[in-house]
Amino acid sequence: MKKTVVSAALVVGMLLFGVGTYTAMGSLRGSGARVDHPASSLVSVHGTLYLAQGGAIYRLHGTSFKQITPEEGWTQPAASPDGSHLVAVKRSLNFADIYVLGADGQVQARLTNNISRRVEANHWAFYPRFSPDGSAVFFSYDSKDPSNTYRVDLAIFSRPADPAAAQSTAWTQPNPYTGGDVGPLPLRQGLLFTRYSIDAHSQVHSQVWLQAGPGAAGTALTPPADDCAQAAVSPDGRFMAMVCRHGQLRAADLVVAPVDMTSGSIGAPVTLVSGRLVAAPTFSGDGMEIAYLSPASAGGPFQLWTVGSPAARKAGSPVQVTQNLGFDSTSAPVWLGT
Amino acid sequence: MSRKPTYLPRVSLVIAGFVLAGLLGVGAYFLPVFEVAATSAVSSGSIPDPLPASTQPFTVLLLGSDDDAKFAPDRYNTQSMILLRVDPVAKQATMLSIPRDLWVPIPGHGTGKISTAYQLGGPTLAMKTVADNFQVHIDDYVWIGLSGLVNLIDRIGGVDIVVTNPVLDDYYPSDINTRDPYAYYRVAVLPGAVHLDGVHALQYARSRHGDIRGDFARSERQQQLLLAIKDAHLNAADLPFLASAFSGEIKSSIGLDRLRQLVGLAGQFGGPNISRVVLVPPYTSEAQIAGQDVVLPSWPVILPLVHKSFP
Repeated sequence: MKKTVVSAALVVGMLLFGVGTYTAMGSLRGSGARVDHPASSLVSVHGTLYLAQGGAIYRLHGTSFKQITPEEGWTQPAASPDGSHLVAVKRSLNFADIYVLGADGQVQARLTNNISRRVEANHWAFYPRFSPDGSAVFFSYDSKDPSNTYRVDLAIFSRPADPAAAQSTAWTQPNPYTGGDVGPLPLRQGLLFTRYSIDAHSQVHSQVWLQAGPGAAGTALTPPADDCAQAAVSPDGRFMAMVCRHGQLRAADLVVAPVDMTSGSIGAPVTLVSGRLVAAPTFSGDGMEIAYLSPASAGGPFQLWTVGSPAARKAGSPVQVTQNLGFDSTSAPVWLGT
Repeated sequence: MSRKPTYLPRVSLVIAGFVLAGLLGVGAYFLPVFEVAATSAVSSGSIPDPLPASTQPFTVLLLGSDDDAKFAPDRYNTQSMILLRVDPVAKQATMLSIPRDLWVPIPGHGTGKISTAYQLGGPTLAMKTVADNFQVHIDDYVWIGLSGLVNLIDRIGGVDIVVTNPVLDDYYPSDINTRDPYAYYRVAVLPGAVHLDGVHALQYARSRHGDIRGDFARSERQQQLLLAIKDAHLNAADLPFLASAFSGEIKSSIGLDRLRQLVGLAGQFGGPNISRVVLVPPYTSEAQIAGQDVVLPSWPVILPLVHKSFP
């Protein structure tokens, strides 16, 4: 009897050992990243931020996230000058439209109507931004090229923020077959945006451009070799943050430079974050910090980070604000309040 | 005098039992890899020499295909052909993208687009066509279908890519899990550093209509995607998890040992020691032959480049 019990126990032990070995092998896996539903941040951030993840917009206040839209393709929110409204993109399979939302995420109006039955007749509308006085909304839009249906380039348009108005104004004329002009940032001195070009060696370059008015010639603020894009301007207008890849395909540095929008010139740039993939920088309401999105580890989803801006006059290391989330890095955070 | 009982046989039996249980656990864990290896095996007669010793450089032809209803099973065009040379000791790697429309002699089939070699004679002919034209020795091949690539990227949790410019395509083929292989939809991959899942990574690597650089730009993006997959911190324990995702969407002549070695090596290669070559002009020029858009090779400039990169 005793022998039987011992034998049975050993057999069970062997089975458990086999299962344990199987499980232990699985724990050695190196790949795979966890993405949670946003609930709380690692550290408290002053003011209020709006971010997009998984087709929904979230509001971060203190350390708590609140989902303000359903997961229905919502992305790229931007705030009105008084912070009472948002404009945001709702993206579907073949088209995207711009909506005005309340600060609580409730839809108030649709500003574009880009759906079509014919696949290629649909339109995209991305990167909406209010003008400084809140009267207009700027955005990137793909107007069609009737002579070549394969050409799809985004150009920057503006339209009244009033949903009842219908007329849009074309601001830029993109370089053909580059994907076009993106990331409009309307300022009192003109329009800041990213423009792409292809050089004689078939290399793509991005530059930050400033343009005074619709159809005006515009000025490149950054050289092609720096490959800068995604510009953000500090609230006092003295600094411009941007992402530059310097000819590399696996680099996206956070760079800040003093800027004079009146003369259309920038000063010596300073690299605040390098060796990481940085996206979508945004200044805090007081201009002392910059929020950006970057993976916590190579190959991982994008987390929220902050770093002191040159205006703060103190060097600081980047602070990781979230972990195990997966923010949409084509959607710059909105940072309101001080 | 009584004999002292010996427990040695019983203890040995118990130890053997535990070892066997452990081995069964490991075997069960790697079962999907063995299954993929079994379905991927190619008769040795049709493939060149086995890979040399692990410390010697080796060359692999990476093939990517449309694997939809437009084609007969296993008779696909290869939309992507990348020649990869790995030097394990020097920790150097070179990727050469071969334009899919490259107009070349295909052994036994006259002259045609290099992408049709796989369709005409499977991986063996694809390898021979590349080897003959580029005058290189190819040790092995890996073929992956569209769904296989999507599954692979999803299984590793997505990839990080720096999208250099907006990739917009109004005629992107909707040929995965669809009844109409000629259907299409619109794609917009927005620029900047992004984390892409399998479907969106495939869109990025596959789209070509909206870019004036056409297939060359696509080749660059495919190389970018390979490097991003390399960054996924894979190790040998990931292989079963990945293998179970493929279900016939990957074929290779690479043995398990070499695959394990490749996965282990991947993490040791950094950006600076990976060379990337795309055959843009003056290496190639575009032309029309028999009503087809083709890419003509300029062998006097291509071959010195290839011999330097693939000695």
